[in-house]
Amino acid sequence: MDDTDEALMARVARGDQPAFRVLARRHVPAMVGLARRILGNTADAEDVAQEAMLRVWTHAPRWQPVAAFRTWLTRVVVNLCLDRKRRAPWVDLEAAGEIVDRTPGAIEQMEADERERLLQNAIGKLPDRQRAAIVLTYKEGMTNAQVADILDTSVSAVETLLIRGKQNLRRALGGFIDEEG
Amino acid sequence: MNNEELQTFLDSHGADPARWPGSQRAAVENLVASRAEARALFEQARRFDALLTGTTTHAADDDDAATARVLARLTALPPQKKPLWQWPSVLLDWQFAPAWPRMAALACCAAVGFVVGIAGVDRTLERYETSQMMMAQTDIGAIFEPEALTGARP
Repeated sequence: MDDTDEALMARVARGDQPAFRVLARRHVPAMVGLARRILGNTADAEDVAQEAMLRVWTHAPRWQPVAAFRTWLTRVVVNLCLDRKRRAPWVDLEAAGEIVDRTPGAIEQMEADERERLLQNAIGKLPDRQRAAIVLTYKEGMTNAQVADILDTSVSAVETLLIRGKQNLRRALGGFIDEEG
Repeated sequence: MNNEELQTFLDSHGADPARWPGSQRAAVENLVASRAEARALFEQARRFDALLTGTTTHAADDDDAATARVLARLTALPPQKKPLWQWPSVLLDWQFAPAWPRMAALACCAAVGFVVGIAGVDRTLERYETSQMMMAQTDIGAIFEPEALTGARP
């Protein structure tokens, strides 16, 4: 049986719930990750991923395969993230770290966590579209043309978003980037 | 290409030559190979990109738990939105079930109205009202009707 995204969507359009669950299991993990990286917290990312998948279900009969399903779904998730009222990111207990352990491996892990925390804070303070462009390019591995398609803008506009986003990150992180070398 | 232009290029296209536009790739590679300042900028951009693409295991664990919760919540699905060209089937597929008591009451009212109309029950009542009205008009006429002008005195 053809189980490409597009074939599954054709079945979902006819109200096939098992086909929808296959699609959900395939794409929800990536969409949760993408939404968390743009929004900065897991609770909102969960809501966005759920809402995006419900849109897949409700709009399936009207869906036209003019673009790849993954591209369309990514666009839905990014737009939901950008539409969402910005909230202060929260840090859950696991991410906040544990009681200090002085063994060498533990210290390295703590330093890595600290680097990640600083970077996420800096990314979280970027304007929405700059943040989305940075996340789609560097976390999702998309080309500038793909990012332009997702953000519904031109490639040159994406390049401008990336240039300004990276300038802002450099200012926020200071010498931290050079220490990484 | 000066240092500022190279920095702009690296910010917009990243430090991976595979992602650079084909028309500029050779020129930028030559620049990086030939000038120490350009090479330093390239190395700095490469470190920055590596930092941006890095991931943590904590976040991955959170995402797994969040994914499981989302999938669990997607069990109850709402009705799908049908395209305009499927409207006839949408109308035929209308869900009356939640409103069946009201629909039954409406149907009963219609049936009672039909029976009353066919049996003429309302006409019997109408005839009674008409006769009552005529009797009342006769009595009033007798009270207020003037006497005939015959010239005779009582």
